[in-house]
Amino acid sequence: MTAALLALADSRLPAGGHTHSGGVEQAIAAGIVGDPRSLEGFLRRRLETSGAVAGGLAAAACRAVTEAEAVPDGGLARVLVALDAEADARTPSPALRAAARQQGRGLVRVGRRAWPHPVWDALPGHPHHPVALGVAAAAGDLTARDAAAAAAYLAITGPATAAQRLLAMDPITVATVTARLGPDVDAVAADALARTGQGGATATVSGDHRTEVTGAVSWAPAGAAVGTWLPADTDPLMDLLAEVHTARGDRYFAS
Amino acid sequence: MPPDHNLDDYVDPYEPGHRHGGPLRVGLGGPVGSGKTALAAALCRTLGAEYDLAVVTNDIYTTEDADFLRRNAVLPDDRIEAVQTGCCPHTAIRDDITANLDAVELLESRHPGLELVLVESGGDNLTASFSYGLVDVQVFVVDVAGGDKVPRKGGPGVTSADLLVVNKTDLAPMVGADLGVMRRDSDAVRGGKPTFLISLREDPAATQVAEWVREQVRARAVAHA
Amino acid sequence: MRTLVEVVARPGPGGRTVLPVVRASGQLAVRRTGPTTVHLVATAFGPLGGDDAEIRLVVEEGARLSVRTVAAAVVLPARGESPASVQRVLAEVAGELDLQPEPTVVTAGAQHRALLHAVLADGARLTATEQVQLGRTGEEPGRWTGTTRVERAGLPVLHTTVGLGPGAPAWLPPVAPRAYASTVHLGAAGTREVGDDAVRLPLVDGWVATAWGDRLIPTLTRLAALDRVTHDPALLEDAR
Repeated sequence: MTAALLALADSRLPAGGHTHSGGVEQAIAAGIVGDPRSLEGFLRRRLETSGAVAGGLAAAACRAVTEAEAVPDGGLARVLVALDAEADARTPSPALRAAARQQGRGLVRVGRRAWPHPVWDALPGHPHHPVALGVAAAAGDLTARDAAAAAAYLAITGPATAAQRLLAMDPITVATVTARLGPDVDAVAADALARTGQGGATATVSGDHRTEVTGAVSWAPAGAAVGTWLPADTDPLMDLLAEVHTARGDRYFAS
Repeated sequence: MPPDHNLDDYVDPYEPGHRHGGPLRVGLGGPVGSGKTALAAALCRTLGAEYDLAVVTNDIYTTEDADFLRRNAVLPDDRIEAVQTGCCPHTAIRDDITANLDAVELLESRHPGLELVLVESGGDNLTASFSYGLVDVQVFVVDVAGGDKVPRKGGPGVTSADLLVVNKTDLAPMVGADLGVMRRDSDAVRGGKPTFLISLREDPAATQVAEWVREQVRARAVAHA
Repeated sequence: MRTLVEVVARPGPGGRTVLPVVRASGQLAVRRTGPTTVHLVATAFGPLGGDDAEIRLVVEEGARLSVRTVAAAVVLPARGESPASVQRVLAEVAGELDLQPEPTVVTAGAQHRALLHAVLADGARLTATEQVQLGRTGEEPGRWTGTTRVERAGLPVLHTTVGLGPGAPAWLPPVAPRAYASTVHLGAAGTREVGDDAVRLPLVDGWVATAWGDRLIPTLTRLAALDRVTHDPALLEDAR
């Protein structure tokens, strides 16, 4: 069932993505992005931070739905609320939180009509986009791997398109930049997926665990939720750009 | 939908949600400088006392239109929402209307009795038109100063808008535009849908357009009664 | 080398804090240096690649604990392909914890991984700072990864991982800082502030401030500049 994945990752899915630049509008204003090479660097740092976080959350949300269907326990809404709180904790910038929730709301609007499923009602109001994306993937009969891949991919395609519009870049060059990041997108998605397996999406971690995953140190006490394990990579530069951007009166993009 | 399902549970998957209720949403589109914002302000002044109304603006870059409305439309700030269109004003009203729907929903939640929402597009070109997922009816505004060939050139805005407004008729002698030609060309391409030739300078209340909007509100009320 | 430090702070008679557990083994010693303050003292060079230190702190309701170090930690690589050195701070706080160690300097070829996992009860207060310099003067930068997870009343409040140094995926020119400083505070609200390579973000009943640059001292100055707007009076009182 890849058609639903292609639809979810399609920039033409009317979920509001085109009004968000993923920080690139401010990065251009700050002189950080101005040509294909600097765009590639920007997309890479975004992929490895917010892309990884989104991938983990989306995969965990998708898993939560599919596992809840196998063992209905009525706790799905609670798990999704917990994942939404994990998204908040990983997104301390108010501007980025607002952007993530705005995009989540847009995805729910189109997703619940395009892929009707009772699980939409288990989502909290105005969920973070990655959590909504995980649910959309499950509603579209996709896997957690698909959810992670879509999240990681969308983390770079939105800003790539925005940069193309703002800098009037050659669209073929921008497509090339995005395509060349393909293996990195896959790697980020695979890592994010692996980390949802640390305790199971709905299960809690049993025993006293210490582990090192992908360069970060994770530690979870007995009973810690899966959220403890999900990627939390952050880029303070993106937080700063987002907060400066949101205060501007003259901007094309919502974020 | 499997045939053995109870028809009472049947929901048409293609039915847009907002058509079941909520305020009438009127799209105001047209090229830059044709008078969309002035028309929105005029409608707010004329209809503001009759209807619980609000406005969404799609400025391209600044909040200039929203600011103009705040100054000129005697609408409180909490009845005006500006959306960012990501460099693509026509995408935001036609292809991916999410940001505009968010704005309309925000206004609805803020003003539960809302009866009328004017959605003003960013200045675009003759190909821009609103998605009917966003608005119930749309008005396309061109002006005489753009030349009397504008209606003849057509484009989705001119041919298919529910109402075509040709503004700034007072300028016709100055720019050498023939209003008769504009009227004839419009009627020829619009299949019977109305065209108003107006001058907001001479009629700041936009009387004719306001009356058309009233009819739309009434028609919608009848349709949903 | 494994290092374990354990400190428990408990309310004692007359509103004072007592420290019923003050224990250390491995490369850190712990000294009580004030009524509510302990200093961690390195007993060897390092940390070295492969070293593992765990610092467990418990601050019970009504108690206060300040944790300091006596000198910067200079992280050195082990011989050959150096593994990372790891430091975990695991804190359970129902009272007030103030954790402000001296900077961590990560020398060329060294990798350091730092984790702060603080579990707060409702009403607990926390101030935790992190100061990092990659490379000594004139030296290539080492690699540092820091994760902060703060939970309060069962909910995650902040969970971030920052990677710095060559090979860190989001450490790329033109923004590849060699100095980094961050403070997280819970217990008093802080506003959103933007500065020069510095930003402070509000959390529910708290804030997190971050600054970065080439050298640590100017970075700390810019971090402090964010703080001019609100400073928690109780913390200021404490500092006196």
